[in-house]
Amino acid sequence: MKSDAGIRDRGPGTRTPRLALGLAALAVALSTGINAQPAWKDATAGYRFAFPRDHASHPDYRIEWWYYTGNVASATGRRFGYQITFFRVGVDPAPVNPSRWAVRDVFMAHLAVSDPDGRRYRFDERLSRAGPGLSGAATDRYRVWNDDWTASLDEAGRHVLSAASANAAVSLVLDEGKAPAVNGLDGISQKGAQAGNASHYYSLTRMPTRGTIAIDGERFEVSGESWMDHEFGTSLLEPGQQGWDWLSLQLSDGHELMLYQLRRGDGSRDPRSSGTLVDARGRTRHLAAGDFVLTPAGQPMAMPSGARYPSGWRVQVPRDGLDLTVSTPLADQELRTLGAGIAYWEGMVQVTGTAAGAAIGGRGYLEMTGYKGSLGRVMNLTTKP
Amino acid sequence: MTTRLFRQFILRRLVSEPGRTLTTVAGIAVGIAVVIGIQLTNASSVRGFETALDTVSGKASIEITGTGGVDETQLPALGWLREFGAASPVIEGDMAIVTPAMSRASRPPRTEAVKVLGVDILRDRTVRDYAVSAWLGADQARDDARPTRGDEAVATLSSQSFLELLTSPQSLVITEKLARRRGYTLGSEIQLLAGDRVQTYIVRALLADVGPARVMDGNFILMDIAAAQLAFDRLGRIDRLDVQIAHAGGALDTSQAPTSAELAAAETAIGARLPRGLTATTPARRGRQVEKMLAAFHLNLSALSWVALVVGLFLVYNTATVSVLARREEVGMLRALGVTRRQVQGLFLAEAACLGAVGTALGIGLGRLLADGAVGVTGATVSRLYIAAAAAPPDLSWAHVALAFAIGVPLSVLAALVPAREASRVPPTAAIRGSDRLETRTRLRASALVLPAMVLAAASVLASLGPVDGRPLFAYASAFAIIIGVSLLVPAIIFGAARMLARPLASVLGVTGRLAHAHFTAAIPRLAISIAALSVALSMMVAIAIMVGSFRETVVYWVGQTLQADLFVGPGVRPTTGSGQSLSPEVLAAVRAHPQVAAVDTFRTLDLVYQGNLVVLGAGQFDVVRSHGGLLFKAPADGAAALARAIGTESVIVSEAFASKYGVAPGEAITLATMQGDHPFAVAAVYYDYAVDRGIVVMDRPVFVRYFGDLPPASAAVYLKDGADPDQVRDEMIAALDEGHRAFVFTNRALRTEVLRIFDSTFAITYALELIAIAVAMFGVAGTLLTLVIERRRELAMLRLVGALTRQVQRVVVTEAALIGATSMAIGLVMGLALSLLLVYVINVQSFGWTIQFRVPVPFLIQVSLAVVAATALAGFYPARRASRLAVEHEE
Repeated sequence: MKSDAGIRDRGPGTRTPRLALGLAALAVALSTGINAQPAWKDATAGYRFAFPRDHASHPDYRIEWWYYTGNVASATGRRFGYQITFFRVGVDPAPVNPSRWAVRDVFMAHLAVSDPDGRRYRFDERLSRAGPGLSGAATDRYRVWNDDWTASLDEAGRHVLSAASANAAVSLVLDEGKAPAVNGLDGISQKGAQAGNASHYYSLTRMPTRGTIAIDGERFEVSGESWMDHEFGTSLLEPGQQGWDWLSLQLSDGHELMLYQLRRGDGSRDPRSSGTLVDARGRTRHLAAGDFVLTPAGQPMAMPSGARYPSGWRVQVPRDGLDLTVSTPLADQELRTLGAGIAYWEGMVQVTGTAAGAAIGGRGYLEMTGYKGSLGRVMNLTTKP
Repeated sequence: MTTRLFRQFILRRLVSEPGRTLTTVAGIAVGIAVVIGIQLTNASSVRGFETALDTVSGKASIEITGTGGVDETQLPALGWLREFGAASPVIEGDMAIVTPAMSRASRPPRTEAVKVLGVDILRDRTVRDYAVSAWLGADQARDDARPTRGDEAVATLSSQSFLELLTSPQSLVITEKLARRRGYTLGSEIQLLAGDRVQTYIVRALLADVGPARVMDGNFILMDIAAAQLAFDRLGRIDRLDVQIAHAGGALDTSQAPTSAELAAAETAIGARLPRGLTATTPARRGRQVEKMLAAFHLNLSALSWVALVVGLFLVYNTATVSVLARREEVGMLRALGVTRRQVQGLFLAEAACLGAVGTALGIGLGRLLADGAVGVTGATVSRLYIAAAAAPPDLSWAHVALAFAIGVPLSVLAALVPAREASRVPPTAAIRGSDRLETRTRLRASALVLPAMVLAAASVLASLGPVDGRPLFAYASAFAIIIGVSLLVPAIIFGAARMLARPLASVLGVTGRLAHAHFTAAIPRLAISIAALSVALSMMVAIAIMVGSFRETVVYWVGQTLQADLFVGPGVRPTTGSGQSLSPEVLAAVRAHPQVAAVDTFRTLDLVYQGNLVVLGAGQFDVVRSHGGLLFKAPADGAAALARAIGTESVIVSEAFASKYGVAPGEAITLATMQGDHPFAVAAVYYDYAVDRGIVVMDRPVFVRYFGDLPPASAAVYLKDGADPDQVRDEMIAALDEGHRAFVFTNRALRTEVLRIFDSTFAITYALELIAIAVAMFGVAGTLLTLVIERRRELAMLRLVGALTRQVQRVVVTEAALIGATSMAIGLVMGLALSLLLVYVINVQSFGWTIQFRVPVPFLIQVSLAVVAATALAGFYPARRASRLAVEHEE
């Protein structure tokens, strides 16, 4: 489960654009579905994935994202983390205006590079409409782009990522690695009590990665492993859901673990939380909310947005004898968008612990959203500082 | 001692004679006011455009444009622009607020125009400053207690409204100012007319009065680019791409503007990488193009305004002279007491300086008021003929104040130099005795003719020189030389006139006439100046009357020949050139569908940059023009045949103004910036056009479509079948339009009337300026007569002594005044004729490149002549009353 719905008040001195509500509106659309129209298709059980077809866009669904995160290192062993995400949010399934600028979908992209050794974290965002081809997501093949940021499949079936901004850049080629792991049951990942409050969601859990990463203009040849999530659906959240914590862990024994926990406004855990465990050969097992326990650990981290995030998590999957501690090598990996004051923590993590008593390690990515305010407050975003 | 002398001798006198002091001060004030007023007016029309440019262009520093806009499919390939900064596509245009009265009017009524900016509202925020002050649907209860940070109120967002703004073609944002003025609120429905299409929009948010919202005094509407494209029927194109140049180093820091060197470097670098057909320019450059376009128009107004000042300075001369004359005895006394010549001269110069300073100060204030009025008048002309932009309110700067004083005070001193020197030469004893008299000259020396002859010769040489940078500077110099030459000739002319008039005056008016004539002849040196001043003012009026009259007749003839169509169809929003207003296919279809229609010629214009200047590019249907139209060709001899050959080919016909400005002739080729880059077009013919002074290039519509895209036409000329009734067809066409369309259909007769109405209103300001100059000159006549009366107080007293009645003394003075008027008018007519030849054949050709048929409006000139003589006689009444009083005083 990806995306974000966090909201922060602006601290003093934050430079903010004056009209600029794209992201706010988007957050609303993402979270509450106010503009959901019957014309969008619901994610329903029985969906059969096919690849590479399902890498491409599914414009019948309102919301879709392609999410890459990865832990890589230079030849000298210097570690880096990266995140690049392409969002498509349907706004109007059938615009009446014949103009190419008429907005059917809003395209948003986030890019972040983490450099724990240099204590640096750099991020940037893009927001646009398709217009005359400025952004888009192809349906006949896998290619999604936002201005000059792109993710696509080359002839050899490899994922090619390219994005550059003033302070961060990635140019990476990813093999698919293991076969796609479909999350949830019967082709859908249920997000709420109502039928249709769900998504089609699969992951590429361990993608051999090489290429270059740049931070503050410094370029590094890197290699490592990435994780890709691709999710599409129409209505994902229900009222009362405050935010979520999401983990993608690549364990040293060849297993991967994806977990998300939906948190309710009263602090309780939503029963729709779930996960997927992938074994070394790529076989998947669905984890229901009762199959795992996520417990905050360590001192809370206070971020510039004002949000306080847990600095680590204890992860227990009793049935598989997993007892893991997740911590981060770099506290400030909070992505704060300029557009609308959305902030979420998304960063590289390291894993220590035991699997059935034996010591185990690993790496991964952690996402924490909804730590500042509730989704309802998105409605009352301010436009000016 | 000198200051005390000044106080006693000069200031006391000025206070004790308020009439004379006020006249002089008023004269200077009016002169300065006209000069400053016109300066302000000219500046404000350009500044209005530049301000609009700055506020609408926002922080964007470089604009990427092509002729007729930019094909939007080129945009993905322009992604490299982000290396220079944030790029934002723009649709910009004018709409009119629809009022119920508009619906079925026969000609476009005055409508409230609004500037509409269409931008990508998701992304434009890095380019322009907007401040949304309220969103429709935001929690109104919370709105009352809107939180504030710093000084700014924080608007509560309604994401629903934002989404509507993003997706609905009927959404817009208006300024708080516009909302207040017209009573709109959030959620109000507004009917707007774009081209000929009426659309209903809903106000989704309000903009505070910052950034682009300040343009056109708040008549500003913001839309999403998709909605704007649809509204203006510009699907597939954007008007331009605004690039907000990043500070060197790449980081987009909007708080710091790039330096001009960075801008220039970016402009060059971007320009070098742009594909053919697109150019990079700065808003400042666009402003300069407009300034250049208006230069000739403005120069004409400025030249006229200086005439008013020159006339005002004659008043200073008069006053100084009166001042000296009235105190000859006192001056003699001062000299006898040991005051030096230099000190005496200084006293009178200081007096002039005082009057000049006070007059200038008043003139500045008056000029500001004058500009307020003139901005309205010239602003209308500018936006009708050149650019659609509201003139900015006049902005009086310290530079203008400095200029006014720099002109007003030194020139006043200069004007007083001759009388002041005269004063310094007063022989002490003679003056005290009263035996000293002004020199009277009854003979004309031949040497007096040499200097004027030389100056006039110089004038003719100057008239033959070409323009400087498109401006007829030598021609203006020639005009001033004519004015000076004739002024110098005035004594000789009066001398001749006096001889000729002696007998008729005596026979008609008897003793009074004889006396008036005697006075007139005796005072030639004194009168010469006044008569010269009045002549100059009158000659300018005569010249302008002849020029405008000739121009008008030419236009009437041209309109009669050229406007052949029976009906003319235009969109409800009056299209100025390049404003992009267009006729929709529905309206054209309705026009074509009428059974009485024989042929339709559509026309479309675009702004085109040619050799760095803005010219007009037009697209017409050559086949229809050939079969039905009535273009008047200047070259080649058989223009119609040349036009026939040009049908469908890569050739153009150009207007006379274009041909003369850029020196092109039929058979040559010109290179135009098309959408595919520079392309040569053969010039097939040159035709007469008096509508656009910057020059028009017209091509056949199919060729235009190939090189500039299939843009909808902006107007159509409709030719009816024989026997059809245009008025009836017009009414039927209008009735056939649905509620969503507003087009104006002129009949041929109505359009001709409309053209002349526009013509007349364009020249209204010219006449207003002239009237002011004449009024100033009238003051001058009154002042001069006053001088003469004072000088002759002894003679007048004698007249009374020998039995003349008060009435008779008055009549002598009034007759003399009429004589002055008649002489001035006669000189003015001759000089005006000379100046009008210069205006028509040199200045007009060099500034506008038009052929004007020379016509003298004889009835008008006769009327004016009689009116002037009557008015000068009237101006003589005050001195006449003074004369009779003086005479009595001396009697006692």
